[in-house]
Amino acid sequence: MSLMKNKRFNLLLIVVVTVVAVWSLLPTWRDYSLSKQLESYASAQDSLKYALSHREEIEDSRKKSLKLGLDLKGGMHLVMEVDQVDLFEQKAWNKDAKFTAIMQSVRANASKSDERVLDLLVAEFKKENIRLSRYFYDIRNSDQEIVGKLDKESGDALSRAKEIIRNRIDQYGVAEPVITTQGSRKIIIELPGVSDENRVRNLLKGTAKLEFRLLREPEMMVRTLDRINNFLVQSGSPIKEAPVLDSLSAKSTAVPVTNSGKEATNPKSSNPLYDLIGVSQNGTAYTTERSRELVLSLLRRSDVQVLLPMDTELLLSAKPDMGKSGEKLYSIYLVKKAPELTGGVITEAKATFGSQGVQPEVLMAMNNEGTSKWARITGANIGKRIAIVLDGVVYSAPVVQSKIPNGNSVINGIESLEEAKDLEIVLKAGALPAPVRITEERSVGPSLGADYIRAGIQSLGWAFLAVSAFMLVYYKKAGIAADIALVLNILIVLSVLAGFNASLSLPGIAGIVLTIGMAVDANVLIYERIREELAEGKGVLSAVTQGYDRAFSSILDSHVTTLSAAFLLYTYGIGPIQGFAVTLMIGTSASLFTAIVVTKEIFHLLLSKNLMSDKSFG
Amino acid sequence: MRIFQKTNFNFIQHRKIAYGISIILLFTGIVSLVVKGLNYGIDFRGGSEVVIRFEKNADVAQIRSVLDAAGVSGTLKQYGMDRSFLFSTVFQGDTGQLKALVTNALNERIKGNRHEIVRIDAVGPSIASDLKWSAIKALVASLLAILLYVGIRFEIKFAAAGVIAIFHDILTVLGLFSILGGLFPFMPLEMDQSIIAAFLTIAGYSITDTVVVYDRIRERIRGQKQSEYARIFNESMNQTLSRTIITSGTVLLSVLVLFIFAGPAIRGFAFAVFAGILIGTYSSIFVAAPLVYDWLHLTKSSVRLRGSKAS
Repeated sequence: MSLMKNKRFNLLLIVVVTVVAVWSLLPTWRDYSLSKQLESYASAQDSLKYALSHREEIEDSRKKSLKLGLDLKGGMHLVMEVDQVDLFEQKAWNKDAKFTAIMQSVRANASKSDERVLDLLVAEFKKENIRLSRYFYDIRNSDQEIVGKLDKESGDALSRAKEIIRNRIDQYGVAEPVITTQGSRKIIIELPGVSDENRVRNLLKGTAKLEFRLLREPEMMVRTLDRINNFLVQSGSPIKEAPVLDSLSAKSTAVPVTNSGKEATNPKSSNPLYDLIGVSQNGTAYTTERSRELVLSLLRRSDVQVLLPMDTELLLSAKPDMGKSGEKLYSIYLVKKAPELTGGVITEAKATFGSQGVQPEVLMAMNNEGTSKWARITGANIGKRIAIVLDGVVYSAPVVQSKIPNGNSVINGIESLEEAKDLEIVLKAGALPAPVRITEERSVGPSLGADYIRAGIQSLGWAFLAVSAFMLVYYKKAGIAADIALVLNILIVLSVLAGFNASLSLPGIAGIVLTIGMAVDANVLIYERIREELAEGKGVLSAVTQGYDRAFSSILDSHVTTLSAAFLLYTYGIGPIQGFAVTLMIGTSASLFTAIVVTKEIFHLLLSKNLMSDKSFG
Repeated sequence: MRIFQKTNFNFIQHRKIAYGISIILLFTGIVSLVVKGLNYGIDFRGGSEVVIRFEKNADVAQIRSVLDAAGVSGTLKQYGMDRSFLFSTVFQGDTGQLKALVTNALNERIKGNRHEIVRIDAVGPSIASDLKWSAIKALVASLLAILLYVGIRFEIKFAAAGVIAIFHDILTVLGLFSILGGLFPFMPLEMDQSIIAAFLTIAGYSITDTVVVYDRIRERIRGQKQSEYARIFNESMNQTLSRTIITSGTVLLSVLVLFIFAGPAIRGFAFAVFAGILIGTYSSIFVAAPLVYDWLHLTKSSVRLRGSKAS
């Protein structure tokens, strides 16, 4: 009686599982047939009409259908790292040469190891025997307290950076982006179906730190440049080639052709700085596109930085102007280090065309606090120039004509409307707490994605054909049961992926293909055992029962080991490999059910109808 | 249909030959690993890779010289797909620049054969070292997990021999990767994340075959005298030979399909799994069980197996 009950329960279970699997894959099927239907219309109008009339159905099935991974659909996978060294530098005060030196070595270490930056920082301070409180927070704080605060600070920065990046992506408009954080400084961004990778990359990597800074007088800049030039002459130190990040730009940009045509690296040059920089009569300085990298690296040198007047900085313009002979010239500005106002007060930004209607620009509005400050600043500096600085480069430096009471400001010096739109996005989303860098990027174009899909479907088809045909040939009637179980297994894997909104990637398909080969293993073990029992002269019924019982321990052991390996792969693997691990796990678990319970029920059914003999196992 | 009717190989008697073969395999592999080393993919060494596909057939040397003239230094290889090339260079934070350089150079110099950049991968050095560490952690953890599980289900000698067999399999595949690496243009055999996935798959699967043999030994060895062990081991291995080979066969079949159809991105993985399962099947018959036998024989201990009632 209890056996009967058990059997009925198993049958019910099989029916329920099959129905649920098919049901959760239905939207995928509907999505597929709907998009086929849309494509079938000859004119765009007809297909639009159809899409509008079936809008709900289309959206609903799309939402519930099996998602394709980035590699199949085409798209970008980015890993960005928050620059924690920069963040900690921002938090410090009393910064002196010692501090700069320490942070430099922390930065060097951080780029090499994947230890936490905070630990590296603490270690470096310990090595120098300096208490953290000398630079961070309150002098009375113990090192431990400061570490705690900095740790919280970096955690906050990471989640804030993630939110801001999400804002930017949402405003740019990407369907179904996935943004997660990993560890203490990584943000992982998955953007399916992005076509303009370059634009997205620029949109994401900028800190969007907007500052309004006062320009110093031209005479002061000229004097400063003279001082740097003299220093370079005296020290005799050649202007080193820009610290090139890679061999690429080494060849393409770093060959300096200077105003006088002399080599900048020539130490004997009498005016090394003025080989790179030109100064016009009205006291504005500029550099050519070719020397730009060299000038930038020169300005970053600490022995050059000490020559600047107190609290000032030399910055370059974002975009070049056209020189007389058509060369691209970047202006150089001497600005105050402390900004008069920062982008935090910006509440609204709008990309538009300027008054002449050709130059794109971004209009900005400020909150109350910013408005009153802006009015005071502009009022106090009429006739002077204020530079609008975004991420360390000067967009424009207009002369203040009059007091601006309404909190309006404008960024011009923008090349295209697209760029203006992107500026609008990043200004609205707010500034990142610290710079972020792209440390990993994988992008797949849609055409390769289509190839992958084709390859994946072919692999699935051929693997299924090969394995199921083998089972039929080798085990005859019993092979049919194994093949039915195999179909159900694949259905379950796909439906679980669809049901949990996981996406199917090429490694995921590889996992399913591997599962096809492994799922029948349980059946092989059982059938071989049954053959053995039959060979010993047992009847079909008892051979089947014994076969299932005796093979079970091997099956369990082998499944547990495969599952644990897949689980570890999922835990330690990243991105694409996880997709493989997931399908392998689902497939292996499902095969415990399909290969044992389902096939057993089929045999019981056949046995009860007297459709099995000892020949049924090949 | 039956592939093996009733076999009667004397595995235990000839186990020394198998040991010899295994030692030669491992030794050759290790020598090659030391001398030639492995080709690391960008996952583990960091760098940027661009896959360029042309509309018509293109000549590697020509493209190489064009890229070189444009000042893009790196290596260009045929990629395992029609009219496609893989260009790898040092890590570029800004892949946009790299893409622009490559596109401009090719558009300018190779006219009449349009190209498309179908894939860009860039892995920074810090990520690469991250990936390396998690790969090692995953491998070690899986070996420990298997040691623990088989140790609990059987006995520590069985578990240890099984893990040695897995080690043997993975090391042999590594050796194969070192020996064959870079020899075939359609399959560069670079070490990357997918190969680690292959190793874990091999580890999980190698023990599967081993467990099938162990299970039969456990079933038959209960209460037997030590002098009978050789016979029991032999009989158990012969009895399970057919299922060991067929279970591996079905998996090999599907991995072979992957190798042929799934494209260059999966090919290294498929090769690793294929070789690993082949060697894993061999090792569960010729390495794992004989090692257990030798161990029992040398220590003159009898088997105290757990869970034999279940079978």
